[in-house]
Amino acid sequence: MKTEQEIVLETKDLSFYYGKKQAVKNITMQFPKNMVIALIGPSGCGKTTLLRCFNRMHDLYKGIKYEGEVLFNNENILTKETDATQLREQIGMVFQKPTPFPMSISENIAYGLSLKGIKNKTEQKDRIEKALKEAALWDEVNDRLDKNANGLSGGQQQRLVIARALAVEPSVILFDEPTSALDPISTSKIEELISELKSTVSIIIVTHNMQQAARISDKTAFLYLGELIEYNITDKIFTTPDNELTERYVTGRFG
Amino acid sequence: MNYKLRKIKNVVVLSLSVGATAIGLFFLGFILFDLISKGFSSINIELFTVDQTPPILDDVKGGLRHAFIGQIILTVVATLIAVPLGLLGGTYLAEYGRHKRIGRVISMLADISVSMPSIIVGTFVYAILVKPLGGYNGFAGAIALAIIMLPVITRTTEEMLKLVPWTLREAAFALGASYNNLIVKVVWRGAATGIFTGVLLAIARVAGETAPLLFTSFNNTQLSFDLSKPMPSLTVSIYQYASSPYSSWINMAWAAALIITVAILILNLIGKLLINWRYKS
Repeated sequence: MKTEQEIVLETKDLSFYYGKKQAVKNITMQFPKNMVIALIGPSGCGKTTLLRCFNRMHDLYKGIKYEGEVLFNNENILTKETDATQLREQIGMVFQKPTPFPMSISENIAYGLSLKGIKNKTEQKDRIEKALKEAALWDEVNDRLDKNANGLSGGQQQRLVIARALAVEPSVILFDEPTSALDPISTSKIEELISELKSTVSIIIVTHNMQQAARISDKTAFLYLGELIEYNITDKIFTTPDNELTERYVTGRFG
Repeated sequence: MNYKLRKIKNVVVLSLSVGATAIGLFFLGFILFDLISKGFSSINIELFTVDQTPPILDDVKGGLRHAFIGQIILTVVATLIAVPLGLLGGTYLAEYGRHKRIGRVISMLADISVSMPSIIVGTFVYAILVKPLGGYNGFAGAIALAIIMLPVITRTTEEMLKLVPWTLREAAFALGASYNNLIVKVVWRGAATGIFTGVLLAIARVAGETAPLLFTSFNNTQLSFDLSKPMPSLTVSIYQYASSPYSSWINMAWAAALIITVAILILNLIGKLLINWRYKS
């Protein structure tokens, strides 16, 4: 582990409320650049809620409230002045269930590109190829780029969604249980991919699967009832955690 | 015992429902048979190429070209009015008004107007577009048809858009899309087949309407492309011809009735096929 780590994302005393219910409680943590950070914890612990604060996904719904700060490249993104649209171009997201748009494989990626203002067809074509190669999908789909993306298998769809996120060149990608709807082989492909991607993007991944967190992440944060219980290098969390609750969770004694 | 009783009940319910179906099908078959046997023999080329002629001239063969073309004009204009309005209205209900009380109220009102008797639409349009303008006109007819189509298209659009999973919208938001952009580029696209089917079924619904046209576009003995004048239509012509004393006109009414029935049947079939094709998987 490098000593001087550049920080891409940082929360300061971050709290989040759904109505009156506080789902994230005073979390302060730092996300180093070019690492895979796993957020683990039992259902309802607030890990997905925390993840969705980073691209202001909660803004789509009513009755929500942020408190504290989320610093992205040292700028607070929870201010009224923050343009959520612009933010989401830089912080991508991949969901639990694959979400290919009802259009062709290449159009799926071109959509994000044109949102970003890249409308030149040749440039789009190059970027589509590059993104699909980065997402390890190119060899499987290069002969059917104009076919509907819904015809792909679940694992391929998820890699297409990753390619779509990569194409707009974000600096962070948020993964919300990206493999929980996939079979083991697709899962391992996605895990491999995530490990490779961290050289170009920073990754924050929410996962229910502790083996997955242990396999792919550099650092792991354990959350419980909206609070950050322990945050450390993954090896340490899974072998000699400082907190008893963490230990009981990672050894499967509760959760 | 108990088991036997259940079997008896089953047989009774089964025969009752088969009987009810048979009665329904009998009359449907009867109507279609009558329509085909009387209408088919009256179909000839003049029906499509000649306009109305006085029925007393036995040596001059008349036709309904004016009515076919008028019907097409009225339906196309009605579709052009109803589709954009219905599409936008349905989009409001499914997207912006999804969780609002006003959205639910409009949705309910649209449901009610789907089953509103079409003659009411006819008299309504008569009061606002015929009486004040001083006469029957094609435009009023098209508006009347559009009013009937509007709730159908609005509700179909709403339902079809709601079928597009919410997660797809979130995914587009996560890429940095605005709501307007993702509705047009992602949501509409996902629902396109369903909406198109709804439009087809709405056209099929108004293609057979007589009452709203009787009060609005009325009829015209000649081919007319002027929407400010009375405009002929198949349904009104059928009504007029069928209630006339001339056998040549009555035969033409049969032929026209058969053609309009087949046309509506085809529209419905295409709609059903599209639904099957789109939602099978």
